[in-house]
Amino acid sequence: MRYSDTLIDHFRNPRNSGMMREPDGVGEGEYAQCMDLARFYLRVRDGRVEEARFQAYGCGPTLAACSAGTEVAAGTALEALAEIEEGRIEAAVGGLPPERRHAAEVVALALRAAARDAMARRGVH
Amino acid sequence: MNRRVYLDHNASTPVHPEVLQAMLPYFSELFGNPSSVHGFGREARDGMDTARQQIAGFLKVSKDEIVFTSGGTESDNLGIKGLAAALGSGHIITSQIEHHAVLRTVQTLEEQGFTATYLPVDAYGMVNPDDLRKALRADTILVSLMGANSEVGTLQPIREIGRITREAGVPFHVDGVQTFGKVPIDVDASGIDLLSFSGHKIYGPKGVAGLFIRKGTKMASIQHGGEHERRRRAGTENVAGIVGLGKAVEIRSRDMAVEGARLTALRDRLWEGVRAGVAEVRLNGHPTERLPGTCNLCFRNIESESIVLGLDLKGIGVSAGSACTSGNVEPSYVLVAMGLPLDWAMGSVRCSLGRGTTAEDIEYVIESVVPLVAKLKTQSPVAGSLPVVGSSPAVGSSKV
Repeated sequence: MRYSDTLIDHFRNPRNSGMMREPDGVGEGEYAQCMDLARFYLRVRDGRVEEARFQAYGCGPTLAACSAGTEVAAGTALEALAEIEEGRIEAAVGGLPPERRHAAEVVALALRAAARDAMARRGVH
Repeated sequence: MNRRVYLDHNASTPVHPEVLQAMLPYFSELFGNPSSVHGFGREARDGMDTARQQIAGFLKVSKDEIVFTSGGTESDNLGIKGLAAALGSGHIITSQIEHHAVLRTVQTLEEQGFTATYLPVDAYGMVNPDDLRKALRADTILVSLMGANSEVGTLQPIREIGRITREAGVPFHVDGVQTFGKVPIDVDASGIDLLSFSGHKIYGPKGVAGLFIRKGTKMASIQHGGEHERRRRAGTENVAGIVGLGKAVEIRSRDMAVEGARLTALRDRLWEGVRAGVAEVRLNGHPTERLPGTCNLCFRNIESESIVLGLDLKGIGVSAGSACTSGNVEPSYVLVAMGLPLDWAMGSVRCSLGRGTTAEDIEYVIESVVPLVAKLKTQSPVAGSLPVVGSSPAVGSSKV
C-alpha cells in the first residue's frame, strides 16, 4: 500500500490529537465495516471553529485523516463544517488509495456531527 | 536512513546465498527439459534427482514418495483433492484454524458432496486429540491438520494425532509449510501419509514446493497432461526452483537445530521487552509449543494496521493480524477461534524472525514498538477514560 507524503507526515506527527476540556461541540463518526471510529472536539468562537482536536481508533490512514481534519476544521464556519464532504478530507491528506477512502468518510462524518452538536448547543438549527 | 528489520519470515524468506548459487546454472547452461532424452535434458534431470534425494533424505523417505509442485497451496490441493478424487466420497476432518489453502479446498469438496468436520482449538490454538477421536466416523477418509499455525506459531500435537489416525486406518495429511525445515518432522513416528512443504519459507525460492505421498496412499491426479512426477502432477518441472529447494533443505538439515535455539531466545526476548514497556499486551499462541521464530502480539484497543504502518516507517516489516481490504476489516479467524475478545484480536501483530535477525534488531524493534503503542494509545478514544472531567458532553454521532 502506497500513501502520500502528506498522509505519512500526518501519521508520524499527528496534529491536535487527544481530548479537549469543556469543548463546545463533540461528534463521532463510525465506519461499521471496519470498526474505525473518529471523535472530534471543537472549540468555537463567533460561529467559527477556533480549535479542533481528535481521538481515533483505526488504521494509519484514518489516524492521518483525523489529524488533517482538525486543520481543515480550524477557521471554518460551523454551518460549512456541518456540510463538509469527504473529498475535502481526502485532498487534505494528499489523496487516499481506493481501499482506504473510508478514512476520509469517517472523518467527514465525525466533523459534521461535531459541528451539528456545537450548533445545537448554541441554539442554532 | 532508518535501520531495516524484516520480521515477516512466516510470509517469505530471502533466498540463501548458497541456494542462489546452486540454482544459477539451471537458468543458463543447464536449461534442458528434464523429460528430454538427450544430454541437455539428462543434466536437468540430474539436478532434479539430486534435489529429490536431498528432500527424501531429510524426511527419511523414499525419493519416489516426493512430488514437486508450484507452491504450498498446490501441495495442499493435490494432497486433499487427489485423495478425495481417488476415494470418491466420504468425510474429512480438519481444524478451524487451517490455512485457506486447506480450508477452502475442503469447503469446495463439501460443495461436491463430501462432508467435513472443523475441529475447534483451545486458547493457545491447539487441537485436542480427544476432539479428533470423537469426530472420526466410519466414512472418514482423511484428517488434514497443519503442523504449526502460521499466525500464532502453535505446534499441533501431530504425533498423538497420527497415532489416532493410524489406529483408525484414516490417511493423515499434514500441512507442514510452516514446520518443514524449522522443527524436526518424523513422518513415520507421526503416522503422516501426506506432507505439504514449501521452498520460500526456508530460504529457498518462491514458486516451488512439494508433497510427500506415502507409498500405498490412494491418490488421483488433479492436473492432467504429461507423465511428469510419476503421473501424479503433470507439467514441466521448475528445475532451477527444485534445485534451490533441495539445497535449502540440505542447509536446513545442517542449521535447523542451532538456528531454532537462537530464534527461540530472540523471540522470547522480544516478548519480554515489549511486555515490560507496554501495559495492555498479550502473547498469542502456546508459550512453549510454538515455532522458534514466531511471536504474535495483541495490543488492546489499537488497530493492527496502525502499528504495522508505524513500524514500517521505522523500517520494520511485520504483518497485521486483521487486514483492512476494500474498507472491510475482520479480526483474524485464527484468533477468533482461539476465543480472543474483539478489542484484543483487532490489534494483533505477527513478528516472525529468521536467520538474518540479530539481537540488535530485536532491541531496535522493542525500542520502536513501546513509544509507538504509547502514542497510538493517546490518540485512541477507546483506550482511556472518556471524556475529561468537567465536560461530559453528549456526543453527536454518525455511522456508515
